[in-house]
Amino acid sequence: MRLLGRADDHQWSQQHLSHYVEGDLGRRARRRLERHARGCVDCGRGILAIRALVRMFRGLDDLAGVRAPAGIFDRVRAAGAAGPRGDAASAPPQNA
Amino acid sequence: MAQLPGRQPPQSGATEASLVARARAGDVDAFEQLAGGYADRLFAMLLRLLGDRGEAEDVAQEVMLRAWRGIGRFDGRSTFFTWLYRIAVNEANRSLAKRSRRPASVSIDAEALKLPAAPRDEPSRQAENNELRTELGTALSALPPPYRTAIVLRDVEGLSIQEAAEIAGVSQAAFKSRLHQARLRLRALIGDDALT
Repeated sequence: MRLLGRADDHQWSQQHLSHYVEGDLGRRARRRLERHARGCVDCGRGILAIRALVRMFRGLDDLAGVRAPAGIFDRVRAAGAAGPRGDAASAPPQNA
Repeated sequence: MAQLPGRQPPQSGATEASLVARARAGDVDAFEQLAGGYADRLFAMLLRLLGDRGEAEDVAQEVMLRAWRGIGRFDGRSTFFTWLYRIAVNEANRSLAKRSRRPASVSIDAEALKLPAAPRDEPSRQAENNELRTELGTALSALPPPYRTAIVLRDVEGLSIQEAAEIAGVSQAAFKSRLHQARLRLRALIGDDALT
């Protein structure tokens, strides 16, 4: 059965563009968004914009040559004599 | 995801598990070898989150110190990488919170990061890329820290939702919600004209 368009389809679609691009929508929700986007320039463009945004961030290579500072372990070395403490305040709990 | 150096775990024959065991027993060299395998990648992530090289260097040292002090509590239920990254995100957020209490703030852009231009790019492509980096960096810096973290972990680092949520210290549902909101905000900040 073909569902009729709903009055709030546009606002709902705008809020779920990223969910759609991420593949986070269920079948019915995905079809609702696609049906609306076929007739809505703004939402169609929104899908392209979110896809482009994700692609741009994933393609960033500007820090490819960055190296950690040489002294990154200086404080560890300075504290090393005392050994690790199992310090509850220092590290997150496992699987918290 | 762009390949960054230092993204691989230690490969020198010693397994990660054996390095963890030695580090837990107090072996600083083992800890350096273990954490050093992720140091470049971790530092790049801190640069993205903080946007300031000096601050990122300070936080990176603090992350390593906290990881060293806490290694006794690491029992392998998550990967060492996830555990270390979680400390890094916590420390970055702590630093951002301190910064927000200071009068002046630092914006993230290519200039502030002193990003190296990709040497093999043609000039026009380089200019385009620099402009894009600046725009993305500026928009990223305008996001509240939890949203910024979500974009960096998922979209820049390319981590799975499960890993990213664990590092951010929230449920997968909460992480997805942050990620989607962050993308919508970035779309609004950058504008569809620049994106499409």
